[in-house]
Amino acid sequence: MDLMKTLTQLVTAFGPSGNEGGISQVIEELARPYVDEIARDIMGNLICRKRGTGPRIMFSAHMDSIGLVATHIDEKGFVHVGALGGVSAGEALYAPVRFQNGVCGLICAPEDKGTLKAADLLIDVGAASFEEAKKLVQVGDAAVYDTPIRGAGNRVISPYLDNRVSCLVLLLVMERLAGADNDLYFVFSVQEEVGTRGAKTAAWAIDPEYGIAVDVTGVDDEPGSKHQASALCGKGAAVKIMDRSVICAPALVDRLLALADAEGILVQRDVLQMGGTDAGPIQATRAGVYTGGISIPCRYTHTPTEMVDLGDVRACADLAAAFAYCNLQS
Amino acid sequence: MEEILRALCGVGAPSGFERPAVLAARELLEPLVDEIWIDRLGSLVGVRRCGKPGAKKLLLDAHLDEVGLVVTGIKDGFLRFKANGVDVRMLPDREMTILTQPPILGVVACLPPHVLSAEEREKAPEIKDLYVDTGLSQEEAERRIPVGTPMVYRTDFTALGERQLCAKAMDDRACFAALLRTAELLRDQEPDVDLYIVGSACEETGGVGARVLAQGLSPDFCVAVDVTHGKTPDSPKEGAFVMGSGPVVGIGPNMARWMVRRLLDEAEKLGLAVQKEVMEGSSGTNGWELQIANEGIATAVLSVPLKYMHTPVEVVEPGDIEATARLLAAFAEHLGGEEAVL
Amino acid sequence: MIETLKTLCTLSGVSSREDQVRDYIRRRVEPCADSARTDSLGNLIVFKRGAKSAGNRLMLCAHMDEVGLIVKSVTEEGYLKFGCVGGIDRRVLLGKRVTVGERELPGVIGLKAIHLTSQEERKKVPKLTDLYIDIGAKSKDEAQELVELGDVCTFVSDTVEFGNGMLKAKAIDDRVGCAVLVKLLEESLPIDCTFVFTAMEEVGTRGAFGAAFSVTPEIALVLEGTTAADLPALEPERQVCWAGKGPVLSWMDGGTIYDRELFELLRSLAEKNNLPWQMKHYVSGGTDGKAVQRTKSGVRVAGISAAVRYLHAPSSVCSISDAEQMLDLARLFVQAMAER
Repeated sequence: MDLMKTLTQLVTAFGPSGNEGGISQVIEELARPYVDEIARDIMGNLICRKRGTGPRIMFSAHMDSIGLVATHIDEKGFVHVGALGGVSAGEALYAPVRFQNGVCGLICAPEDKGTLKAADLLIDVGAASFEEAKKLVQVGDAAVYDTPIRGAGNRVISPYLDNRVSCLVLLLVMERLAGADNDLYFVFSVQEEVGTRGAKTAAWAIDPEYGIAVDVTGVDDEPGSKHQASALCGKGAAVKIMDRSVICAPALVDRLLALADAEGILVQRDVLQMGGTDAGPIQATRAGVYTGGISIPCRYTHTPTEMVDLGDVRACADLAAAFAYCNLQS
Repeated sequence: MEEILRALCGVGAPSGFERPAVLAARELLEPLVDEIWIDRLGSLVGVRRCGKPGAKKLLLDAHLDEVGLVVTGIKDGFLRFKANGVDVRMLPDREMTILTQPPILGVVACLPPHVLSAEEREKAPEIKDLYVDTGLSQEEAERRIPVGTPMVYRTDFTALGERQLCAKAMDDRACFAALLRTAELLRDQEPDVDLYIVGSACEETGGVGARVLAQGLSPDFCVAVDVTHGKTPDSPKEGAFVMGSGPVVGIGPNMARWMVRRLLDEAEKLGLAVQKEVMEGSSGTNGWELQIANEGIATAVLSVPLKYMHTPVEVVEPGDIEATARLLAAFAEHLGGEEAVL
Repeated sequence: MIETLKTLCTLSGVSSREDQVRDYIRRRVEPCADSARTDSLGNLIVFKRGAKSAGNRLMLCAHMDEVGLIVKSVTEEGYLKFGCVGGIDRRVLLGKRVTVGERELPGVIGLKAIHLTSQEERKKVPKLTDLYIDIGAKSKDEAQELVELGDVCTFVSDTVEFGNGMLKAKAIDDRVGCAVLVKLLEESLPIDCTFVFTAMEEVGTRGAFGAAFSVTPEIALVLEGTTAADLPALEPERQVCWAGKGPVLSWMDGGTIYDRELFELLRSLAEKNNLPWQMKHYVSGGTDGKAVQRTKSGVRVAGISAAVRYLHAPSSVCSISDAEQMLDLARLFVQAMAER
């Protein structure tokens, strides 16, 4: 699999929370050659299965992205918005965006606002009046960042590495499943950004024994870091100890670290103080699931231009694949 | 009772890392139940079956996790950390036990008064300015203390006056001790319900332990036994309760009215003093998670007054623990084949 | 429909004490239903067969509870300190009348006179912990004879039609939803329906979790009241929705992104049948939908709401035609479900 080519397909597909149809189709086509079953559930989660006789493992990577949704068009033709997920007004201001129908615009805000909130943002679609704007956008239409994906040495700069780079990781794992015994589920979940909603129903239906959430994680190496995260770009796959939604079972954390050691995979320990992931709802399913996380360290998360290290991406895929093959019967 | 509390409070077991407390609890619970196991999230479950066909299930819950800190980074041999439930003001010059194998001592560093302005000394510290001193070099600290290592207060168990006991983790191990005593009191009785006694994990970080316990066990009734604030000179007029005046019955939307009435009636019959705590929303206990599990479960919350919650010097009265146990035992004993009553 | 709504609004049903509302509804619908039961959280679950068999696959829900107050302590002088059950803006509490406990004792939320208030104090709203209910008792002992800790207090607000087809009452949120369900239950249905009158929505959609888990529907329609801020003081983009502009079709709120296909269905049903409809122009709030949607392996959730001014306050206002059209649209939705 050509990493940059596939990643480009993934990050450019349209799929903000609640509207994941576009990205869902792209992933389905990419996944089809590697698995025995593909289905979509009521929430829209894409669930792929590679049948096996061993214990059930659910890998989950959310495919939805943050975005903005049109709530009101004013008489000047500006589109008022609400946030889909954690959009920071300061980070989104002046970003170019596009709607599903291809209409382009840019994020702006009234100048005399004190502290800007996402609900204060507007999208300028270049319309001169309410009537003109109404031809382009309806209340309820969602828009996503329209910034480009670029390579920068061993790093990638792109919108929506959160969480399309994790979808890439799962696809990389799926490429290598030929001899795996465990009963493997790969869930591309929906609505994570608005409250880890999709993973809850997928996990209930699958009822796995083990869950691994693959997501991006915050880092401690951005300029002026407030040390809310422990991971560093380029230092390997981040094995999740805890985030705000989950404290991973220590035994599973140790298992993943031992696997990495045995296979010579670069790893680091990941304590994230802000943000939750699909790991939370997966762990809380039915009578409980042994849950862990494998994450790609990511800078500038939720801005229009995020950054990850391709070495870390490969390390995450290697570790997840190793776990997929792991003999868990003990 | 004091020995049991010493055994339970003496182990370091913060949220997510409850195993030492679970093992200590298991040893104490095992002789009192028919079957005992540890679930996937690390909670302890013991069941005493009544042997009657179609018997309903009563779940009594106390959480085994305590508040603590987690290492998030290391600078010059000093540890950066995050707090899970800990009051930051407790931290300057606080001794911590760093839960490596074997555990090691750490001291929360604080700047001495002579380098601080009068203003700075008035302000409560912020976590970002605090570090744990390990006495180790950066290299040694990195080798021995991985990121994610938990830490708990390091403190001794003491008696206070004639009637009170002081230790860390009385929240909520004092209530687990109440559950042990409840099981003991019921040993020679023949309740009509199957009794599940659980020491749940991860209450302090959102109650997921209790949630999956209820989802898995499907009890018909639950009582969450947790601690509530004991009156101190600086406590507000409402929401704090007199030490030694008995357990506190929770009243409000989180608690089923019939269970509240039943608890109050049982207390009256026993001549037990109880107090009442009205909570208009979440009780802030596992009761909140238990109530909405599966089809919804009739839930009550019973609390032991405790002074200085989430500090290293939590104080309880064994008399309150004993009274709580007696009330729970009476409640369990007289619970019959109730249909859903409100 | 409006008479049913008016009756329901007069009943007392603060979260977790929905008895009056539940008993009235049960008495009224049980004769027309196939089964009715109350579960351990107080939800009333009613099943009625229709022309087409569908088991439990279609669920309609509305919550019985309203916001109110709860007595937390009694002062030495016999006044009651209280907390809010559900989200209440404390500014609407000052000088209001309530009834306390099952005995419905009259009480007032007093506030010292303006003459006794300094300039500084006049600029601030008193803290909740400084407010109190006066039941006319002269001492703690006297008050304790009349009232118990944990007694709930209901707003006093009569039900009045006024203005141009408007209704003023307490608890329009969500007795309007309950009225729609009651009316549907009294009609013959084209398809099996499970009607759930939920408890404790206002304190966190508490009843809906358990109800949805036990019913396990495939499709759920949530009937609610939602905030209308159509007031002259606000710019259009903050008015959210408008009383009198028709039923509000739910597309997204703070707790749920509603099923797109079902939203489109509701919209087309409204248009084909000449019913006005609107969408909220602001993402906020939440409904039982958030508890229902992620139950087990997921439920398709749609919502129809009435635009209600002064939600969660004693004197709410809605448009009568909106309420009637809500019933019409709900009926069309059920019909459409039968035709699938």
